[in-house]
Amino acid sequence: MEAPMLIPPYPVPSNLSQPFWDGTRRGKFLLQKCGACGAYRWTPQWLCTKCHSLDFAWVEASGDAKVYSFSVVHRPPLPGFKAPYVVATVELAEGPMMLTNIVDCDPKDVKIDMKVKVTFDKVSDEISLYKFRPA
Amino acid sequence: MSQQREVAIVGVHATKQQRNSGRSALALIQEATNAALDDAGLKMKDVDGYIAFTFEGGNGSGVNEGNIAHQFGQPIAFTAQISGAYAVQMAAGAIKQGYADVVVIPAAGSTTLGGGKAASYTRPEYEFTEWTGSMTPAQFAIIARRHMHEYGTTIEQMAEVASRIQHNGNINPEAVLFGRAADTPEKVLNAPMIAEPFTRAMCSLVNDGASCIVVTSAERAKDCRHDPIWVLGGAMENRATSYFEAPTLDMMNSRDKMLRGFQRAGIRHEDTDIVMCYDHFAHGPIVQMETLGFCKPGEGGHYVPEVMGLDSKHPICPDGGNLSYSHNMIPYNFKQIEIVRQFRNDVPDLCPEGHKGIHTYDRRICRKVRDPKLAVGAGPMTEGRHGFVLLAKD
Ligand SMILES: [Zn+2]
Repeated sequence: MEAPMLIPPYPVPSNLSQPFWDGTRRGKFLLQKCGACGAYRWTPQWLCTKCHSLDFAWVEASGDAKVYSFSVVHRPPLPGFKAPYVVATVELAEGPMMLTNIVDCDPKDVKIDMKVKVTFDKVSDEISLYKFRPA
Repeated sequence: MSQQREVAIVGVHATKQQRNSGRSALALIQEATNAALDDAGLKMKDVDGYIAFTFEGGNGSGVNEGNIAHQFGQPIAFTAQISGAYAVQMAAGAIKQGYADVVVIPAAGSTTLGGGKAASYTRPEYEFTEWTGSMTPAQFAIIARRHMHEYGTTIEQMAEVASRIQHNGNINPEAVLFGRAADTPEKVLNAPMIAEPFTRAMCSLVNDGASCIVVTSAERAKDCRHDPIWVLGGAMENRATSYFEAPTLDMMNSRDKMLRGFQRAGIRHEDTDIVMCYDHFAHGPIVQMETLGFCKPGEGGHYVPEVMGLDSKHPICPDGGNLSYSHNMIPYNFKQIEIVRQFRNDVPDLCPEGHKGIHTYDRRICRKVRDPKLAVGAGPMTEGRHGFVLLAKD
């Protein structure tokens, strides 16, 4: 099954998220880890959503996750998305929930609790999207 | 605690809800505000509070308190940006504290002119959302499917909920889908698939229209045209921003806060009649009745179809809801407005003398709830922002 085809605009990194997108471009899946309590977080934030510390580092994460829930989209919101495709919330092994696409499988085969692994989809010289495929 | 009757809704209005009105949100909001004040027997010169979502529009058509104050030539003392149940509670607080005496709560959306990009907030230009193609139905479909997984809620139960609400819209001449709503579970399930498990008939409308609610003190209400509809309390809780964080069932964690809202007002769930859920999608009333505390988490799939009928314990969305009456992108006020209209016996339907307030209670043509006195108006009630208000008549 093909991934949704995208039209611009692609993600525009912020000065907070730039390290994350630098990572995906190099094939690395980075998450912020709190310097005080060690919690991982997603989406990128300036403070720890658990202990509110401002101290953090970008560290390489496992890329392992399981499907929390998903939807197979049949009527895309914009031209450029090729239906059907799968939008999912995945629970990362490190804890945070992440919105993404499930790719490289028939949408009919996607199941809740299915183990998935991050994969990168290069859409420009600057941006590689992070998606998940069956592990 | 005793029920306090200090603040009341005294005026309401909804403009014609329709697709492609050809009018700006600002024009619609002005019409609704004038008409709601007229309904209350008040004038714009009486108003000193304004609560509404603001948004930009070209050619000076922006909806915000400054533009409204200028255009009506009426300075405004108290302002806030919210709608629906939140706004009514904030108005009540402002009135009790003396910041304002008469608060208008207008809301409008137009897909055609001004304030216009069709629900653009539902596809934020956000680096972690937009590229996934997760438009609004997909976001909430993820939540619905998780509820099905955790609690055994079925697609048939959600279709039953959607069809019962749409039956009400089907016999409401003011509903966008009047006469053509998906009023059986089969029609709901057979509609085109949008984002699994939601068919089109399980998704809210997108249309133009405006509404306005007028709130004032008990003292001021004595001079108003209609009997006051009392604001007895409610609750509010924010947990996240929809469309920015990954959708989950986290909203159900607001249950304790919602229960405390009932306790604070001294109201028992079983004593309420109408419950206006926020039926943006078919799972909405199921998850919300659990979160509001009408049933236990996970019981909604069985419970809601049993209680939501027009002759059942807690009629839900007798107007046809966001699914078939109107979703003008800022549809929260409709929840309180329908309660007020049911209390006043101002319920357009297909009863031959319904316009005179004489109803048949034949549910094929009548959507009037029998003698409601206490009601719950929920919404916003999405995944990030949850609130309800308790309304009563004497
Ligand atoms: Zn921390």
